[in-house]
Amino acid sequence: MFRGFERERIATDAAADPFGVAILTGPMPAPPKDAVSQLATVVSSRPCGSDAVVLRLAPERPFEPLRASRFFMLRREDGTAPLIPRPYSVYRQGGGASSSTGEAPWVEFLIKVMGRGSRALEAAPIGSQLRLIGPLGNGWPVLDGDGAPWVMLAGGVGSAPFPMAIEQALRGMDGGAAVASRDLHFLFGARDRGLLYDLELFERLGVNVHTATVDGSHGMQGHVLQLLDALQAAGSIPKQIRVLACGPDPMLEAVHARAIEEEWDCWLSLETLMGCGVGICNGCPVPTREGGALAGWPNAKCCVEGPVFAARDIELVGH
Amino acid sequence: MPSLAVRLGTLLLRNPLLSASGTYGHGLEMGGFCAPSGIGGLVSKTVTLEPRGGNPAPRLCETEAGLINSIGLENKGVAQYLEEVLPEVASADCAIITNVGGHHDHEFADVVAMLDERDEVDAIELNLSCPNVDDGKLPLATDPKRAESVVAGARARTRKPLFAKLSPNVTRIGDMAMAVESGGADGITAVNTLLGMAVDWRTRRPGVATIQGGYSGPGIKPVALRCAWECARNVTIPVIGCGGIQTVDDVLQYLVVGCRAVQVGTSSFWNPANLGDLASQLAAALAEQGIDDVNDLIGTLEVARR
Ligand SMILES: Cc1cc2nc3c(=O)[nH]c(=O)nc-3n(C[C@H](O)[C@H](O)[C@H](O)COP(=O)(O)OP(=O)(O)OC[C@H]3O[C@@H](n4cnc5c(N)ncnc54)[C@H](O)[C@@H]3O)c2cc1C
Ligand SMILES: Cc1cc2nc3c(=O)[nH]c(=O)nc-3n(C[C@H](O)[C@H](O)[C@H](O)COP(=O)(O)O)c2cc1C
Ligand code: FES
Repeated sequence: MFRGFERERIATDAAADPFGVAILTGPMPAPPKDAVSQLATVVSSRPCGSDAVVLRLAPERPFEPLRASRFFMLRREDGTAPLIPRPYSVYRQGGGASSSTGEAPWVEFLIKVMGRGSRALEAAPIGSQLRLIGPLGNGWPVLDGDGAPWVMLAGGVGSAPFPMAIEQALRGMDGGAAVASRDLHFLFGARDRGLLYDLELFERLGVNVHTATVDGSHGMQGHVLQLLDALQAAGSIPKQIRVLACGPDPMLEAVHARAIEEEWDCWLSLETLMGCGVGICNGCPVPTREGGALAGWPNAKCCVEGPVFAARDIELVGH
Repeated sequence: MPSLAVRLGTLLLRNPLLSASGTYGHGLEMGGFCAPSGIGGLVSKTVTLEPRGGNPAPRLCETEAGLINSIGLENKGVAQYLEEVLPEVASADCAIITNVGGHHDHEFADVVAMLDERDEVDAIELNLSCPNVDDGKLPLATDPKRAESVVAGARARTRKPLFAKLSPNVTRIGDMAMAVESGGADGITAVNTLLGMAVDWRTRRPGVATIQGGYSGPGIKPVALRCAWECARNVTIPVIGCGGIQTVDDVLQYLVVGCRAVQVGTSSFWNPANLGDLASQLAAALAEQGIDDVNDLIGTLEVARR
């Protein structure tokens, strides 16, 4: 059974309410209670794959353990970065009480270097301070071991919300049954091998890891959905599955279409453009789907109502 | 500790710092970042008579020194605002200013009349200047007669303090200021966003789906500051400065050119705690200058005599 996704709970409570979505998220969708705006020190930065870095930050005020696929807004404070912070999923978290070496609590981000914001973050000097706003967003639903196997579909840097998701699923979340490693399939697709970021890290987690590259430089040649088809055809993955996906828009659109067609239990972590990350700019609309839990208002706010949405609740084509 | 309280007509503010409409939600959601008890007031997102779904994505495009937006006044309409938002916002320990927009002139008066019945609303701001509807034609913001009549229509329906928010996209904003003053406004907010545009030349696509949008942020400050000054010297009602404020220096500049209060918009996006931080920094900055009362600084621009 799928539990613990706050919006779904409220949705059932509010089902009888004529105001629909206005109630679902309260009259004023708000950022999470644990979100703060603070400074964080760059502890380390390591190159990853052919075009990304993993940035490790030590926040002034540490966080409780974070659910995978929650995110932060990040910005350099020294005037060399664009004004608007950029959203990044938490990649890994550690240090503090969990650390045997006594390191300060840290969070890591996997940052693909694309434009002004990510270039500035890539070049952030060790020891410099960044603005860190968060933790934000809802994160993946509770990944439990009581139902169909979980299939995680990652496209390129869309792999960022998965290392922690895998660890959390294997450990058991919110009192739910832990997921057995044989029931967890991580399907990693990218254009080429250089974009299968930290592949070894996933391979060390002990779950089923399968890869696909468009140029055939690693794993199957093709897209991640074709990889899933092939694995299902070969009987390595059953027909009944629960799916999580994160990746570029065309990939998510394809996954979404398939999820609707085959009525998968499927959650997508979206990477829409964001201005604020905390619900105040209205710059991150996600069209809602008729008949879904968010229907009643044409748009959901990706930052405060997502970034994880059930496929059946949203529209993605042309998104 | 210097006195920071300022007066906008009959509205007394704890300090001159207000949120800008559309950039801080309804304000209370941000309580985790900024305590209402530390600021002067919260200005709501524009509320319209009917719900509005807003414009398609992309709605935002960052530029060299600011942000272009085309949100399109997405809001759930005045009925939802009255029933659900206001009762919650009422608990905020600061002034609640409701920003009102409309497609047709009469909608302003209709919404104002509904707000007038509610004690939770401390003041009303008329958004005469949204560039993201009507293809940016800005009919109310550019025609003094029409602006005056919309303000007069709203004035007839409320005794609450009524502010008119003007657009910088005019040749002589002083004329607009005088028009809304004679329409019966108790104050002027100067200014809304500038019309702007961005394009990705590689893809040939405009930065926002509506092609043009509203430009805000640090890049507009000199333009907005001049507009606020021109308004302040043409009217006797208080002026609320808005545009590009990110530091306490920016706040102080607006006060010196004659603004009684200021609104902080886009800079909340890079630090949602900024609004509250600016209020504390304002007290510190005045103390450092030996100024006991913020009102002693307002409108003190020194113009060299010939
Ligand atoms: C919740 C969330 C989590 C995210 N997590 C990660 C992560 O863990 N790692 C990571 O590398 N990225 C992540 N992203 C995407 C990341 O925020 C963007 O890539 C980043 O904002 C790009 O900024 P930039 O200044 O480098 O590029 P810009 O100069 O802003 O853009 C460069 C080019 O990319 C396009 N672009 C910008 N943003 C996006 C976007 N969101 N989707 C598609 N195209 C875009 C622009 O149109 C432009 O063509 C996440 C986004 C969200 C919303
Ligand atoms: C994303 C966004 C949405 C806005 N929405 C509104 C609105 O609904 N009503 C309004 O009167 N002004 C709106 N504005 C204008 C701001 O209130 C403010 O006048 C303008 O942004 C200039 O101030 P700034 O440079 O501090 O942002 C909006 C601005 C932005 C950036
Ligand atoms: S990013 Fe600003 S409302 Fe979602």
